[in-house]
Amino acid sequence: MLAGLVIGLALALASQARWRLVRGLVTVYVEVVRNTPLLIQIFFIYFGLPLVLVKLPAFVSGLLALTLYGAAYNCEVFRAGLEAVSHGQHEAARSTGLTAWQEARYVIVPQALRISFPALGNNLVSLVKNSSLVSVIGMVELMFVANDISFNNFRSFEVYGAAVVYYMVIVLGLSRLLSVMERRVLAKSVA
Amino acid sequence: MQWSVVPASLPYLLQGVRATLLLSITVLVTGTALGALWGMLRVCPVPAIQRGMTALIEGVRSIPLLLQMFFIFFGLPALGIQMPVFLSAALAMTLWMAANFAEVIRGAIESIPHGQFEAASSTGLTYVQAMRSVIVPQALRRMLPPFVGLCTILIKDTSLASIIGVFELTRATQETIERTFRSFELYLAVAAMYFVICFALTSLSRILERRLGSPGRVVLVGPAVME
Repeated sequence: MLAGLVIGLALALASQARWRLVRGLVTVYVEVVRNTPLLIQIFFIYFGLPLVLVKLPAFVSGLLALTLYGAAYNCEVFRAGLEAVSHGQHEAARSTGLTAWQEARYVIVPQALRISFPALGNNLVSLVKNSSLVSVIGMVELMFVANDISFNNFRSFEVYGAAVVYYMVIVLGLSRLLSVMERRVLAKSVA
Repeated sequence: MQWSVVPASLPYLLQGVRATLLLSITVLVTGTALGALWGMLRVCPVPAIQRGMTALIEGVRSIPLLLQMFFIFFGLPALGIQMPVFLSAALAMTLWMAANFAEVIRGAIESIPHGQFEAASSTGLTYVQAMRSVIVPQALRRMLPPFVGLCTILIKDTSLASIIGVFELTRATQETIERTFRSFELYLAVAAMYFVICFALTSLSRILERRLGSPGRVVLVGPAVME
């Protein structure tokens, strides 16, 4: 999640860059990642990459896929946040003699972060849910074998039922926490 | 690399595309219908119903779709409810779609200024009439972009159905890979197929957004939110 945040922010800043090539590359990356299923991305990294590059362990593959996926979505959120900062702020920053880097660091990004906060929270919650997909690359073989009925014993109901409850507790708790934090952040921006 | 496997297995993969679209369209119809019902109940002015629907919608939304599928396909047989895979996947996705679409509806309806309600009721319209002829027509425009976004996510998420064994594009790919061992080329090709389908939809959404003008502030799940 942290890596996804950092990469997402970096990509979003790059999408504001002056060079058209950089902007184009970021757009392609974001659109490709957002328009293909996460599951396919996970499979590609875990099963596809070994043919040409390296074999990554399941955990690293899953982490990499989730990070890249989260980064693309966070990039969109940050981009919207950066674009929501009014133009006058850029001009004011420049007129006080800040360099482009200082302007981004002290003026634009802090405001954009605040604007992006609720949507980032949403992405975090989705990420928790999407992490369930990573289990698949550890489980595919199991699933093929387990297609027979013996798997459908009484335990599966309880196990999956418990998992449902765990996810609900985590996700609902997280969204509650986020909405409290959101209120804090928004309150601060008004003050 | 051996790119020749891609054209060679194209007919089989296209069967997968067809099955993916079939599943998507099925869920689109059922999920949207159920979601519309849930959404209207969610915003109805009876507090008890509102609370119940909130619990239901938030409950469904907080569970990963994959887990819902597992629960329905592997878990429910313990209660004597056994369903074929396609039905299990379609049911799980319908619930998922309904919960998310209900939230889109709520977001759109709550974004209509309250004065509209007051104006409608002061002209003597009943709640249902006000909803039908004043609120919903305005809200529909605001729903459209996030709705198309949901459809994109829906198509991407049909790939999850492959895990419980539904034959669709991802499953077709896996079967082809088991035969040919060319996972790199095939996953890349299939990613491209998903991309074409989904990108067409997101582009459509962008065109619609421009055509409809900016409909005020749409606060809820735009296509930028991942799910």
